[in-house]
Amino acid sequence: MTAVVLDGIVLGLQMGLLGVGLTLVYGLGGVLNLAHGQFAVFAAIVIARLLDADLSLWVAIPAGLVCAALLGLVIDLSLMRPVYRLRGEDRVLLGLLLMLGVGTIIDGLLEWRYPIEALSIRVPGGPVSVLGVPMRRGGLVGSAMALTAGAALFGFFRFSTFGRATRSVIQDEDGARLCGVNPGTVRTTIFVLSGILAGLVGISRSMTAPIEVTSGVGLTITALIVAVVGGLGSVSGAFLAGVLLGIVSTVSAFYIGSYITTIVLLATAALTIVFRPSGLLGHRP
Amino acid sequence: MSEIVESARSKTSLVRDYGPIVLAAALLALVPLAFHDSPSKMTVIIGGLLFCAYAIGFNVIFGSTGQLFLCTGALAGIGGFSAAIVNDRTGVPMLLAIAIGGLLAALVGGLLSWIAVSRSLDTIFTGVVTLAFSLSFENFVLGRKDLTGGETGIRIEAASETILDDQVAPYYIFLGLVVVYLVLYRVIQRSQMGWAFKALRDDEVAAELAGVDVTRYRVYAGIIGSAMLGVAGAVFAFHRGFIGPTTYAFGDVDVSVLVMLVFGGIGSLLGPVVGAVVFTILDEALVDFARLREMLYGIVIVVLFLGFRRGLIPSLESVRSKRRDRSEG
Repeated sequence: MTAVVLDGIVLGLQMGLLGVGLTLVYGLGGVLNLAHGQFAVFAAIVIARLLDADLSLWVAIPAGLVCAALLGLVIDLSLMRPVYRLRGEDRVLLGLLLMLGVGTIIDGLLEWRYPIEALSIRVPGGPVSVLGVPMRRGGLVGSAMALTAGAALFGFFRFSTFGRATRSVIQDEDGARLCGVNPGTVRTTIFVLSGILAGLVGISRSMTAPIEVTSGVGLTITALIVAVVGGLGSVSGAFLAGVLLGIVSTVSAFYIGSYITTIVLLATAALTIVFRPSGLLGHRP
Repeated sequence: MSEIVESARSKTSLVRDYGPIVLAAALLALVPLAFHDSPSKMTVIIGGLLFCAYAIGFNVIFGSTGQLFLCTGALAGIGGFSAAIVNDRTGVPMLLAIAIGGLLAALVGGLLSWIAVSRSLDTIFTGVVTLAFSLSFENFVLGRKDLTGGETGIRIEAASETILDDQVAPYYIFLGLVVVYLVLYRVIQRSQMGWAFKALRDDEVAAELAGVDVTRYRVYAGIIGSAMLGVAGAVFAFHRGFIGPTTYAFGDVDVSVLVMLVFGGIGSLLGPVVGAVVFTILDEALVDFARLREMLYGIVIVVLFLGFRRGLIPSLESVRSKRRDRSEG
């Protein structure tokens, strides 16, 4: 049982890290980035290509993250401009449709150029004992990365001036503008940050399971569900939801198995939303 | 005197209300004349009509009352699978099986709608709950092999050697379905329910204060739209003679239907038709590009949405009304 729960936590931290990038961008500007999973795959494939070219992991990983960040920057400065000129539901709808298009473009591009490329980072060394359970090193390193990223984000929003400015935009865009915060700059920064977070998922997840060219849509859907269950805009909510759903997933896989596992997972997500429409840690607008 | 004016006015409004449907139906009725020789083209075109029917059903739910149902495919699949299974296991006639399929889809859709409305979920949250439902349905179809055939799907023999088995006759059956849906959409729009839909879409709080039962009308929209989806899915199952896990899958149905409807114009009568026609042609035009197709499709989506932000039909209408204002002023 402990082993199952620990596996669930390892899985859940990955899901949380995936959801965080999506939740930040949505909380800030109302754009539901339906290409978030594709961002992760994009970074992973860049790294895989660089590794194929015999570059060291320590060069490939930063390069992959930089590419994901640049992708975020380019999209924010081009496609998201007309989106941010809209308000309310119009903005949400145009944002998610454009990002859906972007996701399809990334998917199509990667499947066309590198159909069989995949990233799978092997962490050397044998299993490590955690609470008496032997755990694979890859999963632990991935979890450590997710936890570090989560802690860094938490600290950033709580203690840095820019982080507080970001929270002020999440709470009230017009109010923030009146206080001298430029929502445009904040949004661009967070979009880039979200690209980096997606790239991180690409790396940390590939330590337990390979990231393939076609993984994008599945990752996006997971990110969406985690972000909504956690409460859109909430960093800690995304991690909480990720860990909760991760544990539900491994426990039901262990005790029930077969196709019902996924249904249990989805039902848990749906029920959470139905009973807490603002998400676990979200604020009702 | 006033009676004559009244009847003349009602005649013009009748033409204005239903003329576009007649026109669209007449144009679409000509399509098989050009393509009846090519079974593969007819398959694509019938697929386009099916998606048009889906888009109208989705338009009733999303366009009229703003409930983002990301389970178009799943509701159609409930109609399709239940009709096929009921027909196969108990031997009830095809038409009755289709009705049962539609009824089940309506029940499920109404329930989803009731949950979303009574918990006052907003657009995105309704979307994610229904998305979870969609994915659960997909897993159910894959998992319950004894009922649904799992990955291999099920063959449906009921319609073989009837007119549904052909290509041209089914085209007109689907066209008939689309026309019926369009008329139904217009009738609802002009009825008391339509006024309620408009009120609650414009300003939900004001509508509620004015005595519109927002919950009830949203659920009505959920039931009617889902019934449309279920019936369309069931008719398609009998026509195609085979349904599998990808026939109604989220990735194969919902994204296309959403893109079609938003491109054509949410909440407009002919938006779904225009969207389905444009994207069916586009899909066919990109076939030759094989592996580049998906990327080109994405580029087209981005470009089209940047260009026609409010949907093609509403954009055209606003251009027309602007021109009219100018000529009158």
